[in-house]
Amino acid sequence: MSQTITIDPVTRLEGHGKITIQLNSQGEVEDAHFHITQVRGFERFSQGRPFYEMPGLMARICGICPVSHLLASAKACEAIMSVRIPHTAAQLRRMLNLAQLVQSHALSFFHLSSPDLLLGMDSDPANRHILGVAAANPKLGLAGIALRRFGQNIIELLAGKRVHPGWVVPGGVTEPLDAAKRDKILALIPEAYANVGLALGAYKQIADKFKAEIEVFANFPSNYLSLINEDESFEITDGALRLIDAKGKTIEDGMTASRFTEAIGEAVEPYSYTKFPYYKALGYPEGSYRVGPLARLNIVKTMGTPQANKELAGFKKLATGPVESSFHQHHARLVEALYGIEKIEEILADPKILDKHVRATAGVNRLEGAGQIEAPRGTLNHYYKVDEDGKITWANLIVATGHNNNAMNKGVLQASKAYVKDGKFTEGALNRIEAVVRTFDPCLSCSTHAFGQMPLVVTLLSADGEVVDRVARD
Amino acid sequence: MGLPRLVAGEEWKAEVRAIPDNITTPIRCLILACGNTTRSDDGVGPYLAEWAAERFRNNADVRVVSRQQWTPELAEEVAAADSVLFVDSSVSSTPGHVRLIPVEAKAGNSGVATHHLDAHELLGLTQALYGSRSAHAMLLTVGTGSTEFGETFSERVEAALPRAQGILEEAVLRFLED
Repeated sequence: MSQTITIDPVTRLEGHGKITIQLNSQGEVEDAHFHITQVRGFERFSQGRPFYEMPGLMARICGICPVSHLLASAKACEAIMSVRIPHTAAQLRRMLNLAQLVQSHALSFFHLSSPDLLLGMDSDPANRHILGVAAANPKLGLAGIALRRFGQNIIELLAGKRVHPGWVVPGGVTEPLDAAKRDKILALIPEAYANVGLALGAYKQIADKFKAEIEVFANFPSNYLSLINEDESFEITDGALRLIDAKGKTIEDGMTASRFTEAIGEAVEPYSYTKFPYYKALGYPEGSYRVGPLARLNIVKTMGTPQANKELAGFKKLATGPVESSFHQHHARLVEALYGIEKIEEILADPKILDKHVRATAGVNRLEGAGQIEAPRGTLNHYYKVDEDGKITWANLIVATGHNNNAMNKGVLQASKAYVKDGKFTEGALNRIEAVVRTFDPCLSCSTHAFGQMPLVVTLLSADGEVVDRVARD
Repeated sequence: MGLPRLVAGEEWKAEVRAIPDNITTPIRCLILACGNTTRSDDGVGPYLAEWAAERFRNNADVRVVSRQQWTPELAEEVAAADSVLFVDSSVSSTPGHVRLIPVEAKAGNSGVATHHLDAHELLGLTQALYGSRSAHAMLLTVGTGSTEFGETFSERVEAALPRAQGILEEAVLRFLED
């Protein structure tokens, strides 16, 4: 008799999701899915709103990465306006994005994943959380809190508040940076370096204990997508997209936001409210790809800052070609956090960061526009269409977690096959299957949108796992 | 700016610190509220925080912090305070019921929770990280009648606000006397 194992909810993620594992009659894993069960509807209710409201509206998709949506949305609006924002505004936005990168990666590493890494995948679930980490390793707990605080303080200093900030508007930002705020940010940097150094050191010692997990945590060849600069250095705010294949060969380069909207399609699967983006030229699912820290570090040749460059060199030694196991995303996040601190320091060293000209103005000059950015979790694209009055007629968002949907599902299946044997599993096995998803650091609040009609299947299982009834609405 | 020496061995398990270095101003009393002002009665925490900020605006011994939810970073604020009064709505109390209870630090069951904590867990985290113990830690709650979308309170919560303000004020003044 076949059996379905359900993990619901999946813990230590942003948002709500569930995993189902289908066993065959021999108790072997036949299939597994990661279901995203939230519906948000932002693309629908923004229709009819003036385009310049979109950054503020879209920031409210998420409380973890509002800055990403703020920036991608503003860039889409600027495409509609056909403006290039002042250089100082671009640098200020870059700093905001970097601050978000650091605080988001700190949350992912310290709060969501370090309980597994420090306490063990099989540790008592009652203690396997941030309080358990704090009790076992206070210094690392403090480092995590301090790194989050670093990023959040900068966001608050620049944009007025930590969650759903304003300040970023179509055309630039509303206010320049003054010297007092610049100096406050600079004063935060030494402690941030110390804390990320602590985390990197701790992680490198811990990683060796997880060789078995590394082998089966979404460890498979895939394509990768990320922003990159023309000099092939790391970039999360501007630049253009590069798509590479499993061997590291470039499939397409220089992809602008508008080209992205032509090149990427979206498939729908009946078991999730999240779409499944893919590179159209390769079809679905062959055109699926991964985004996020692993993809970014696989694609770039240099970080562009000295300490992060050294760390990148060490990271790339993990494999001869692209690094494949999603477990290494933990390492990649810490390298990116280090880069973020270095880059913020570099930006603040330029006296031009205090320039007063930080906003360009214009009306509607095009009836559609797209903007792209690297959110902490991966590539984010906002695409809007407007009428002559600038009212939104259509909006589409492709978010990082959506890009990674296919890979997360494959990863869950791979881990399920490794850890569920003869229909038997331990709590640690189920935790490991959840932990695979956590390596992607998905933000499920962002990634749920409607696409045409919403397939809905309700499966009724009896107490022993037998399917009793199934209701479908297509 | 170079990186500090990367640590090896067990060196990174260091002693806890009593007060976070970055909090420059230790405070006698912290009022720490949470709630969502767009979800009707869930906004009672921020409402009372705003009232308290005005009530104690001339008192340098009182700091008021209001957030949508309590996150681990707030452990730093709690560690720097002699006493802390948590303020929140409560779905487990009858609508409009005002309650003031001591808060005991606990490890909590944060397997499901990601980055938000309840008062007990936040206190537990503070003690685990900073080794500090508050002289007083109390939780003031007002029972919710409605958490529907909206920016007004239900009738019973609206009626309970003067009592909640009175209990809040009395608690803070008692903390300051000790």
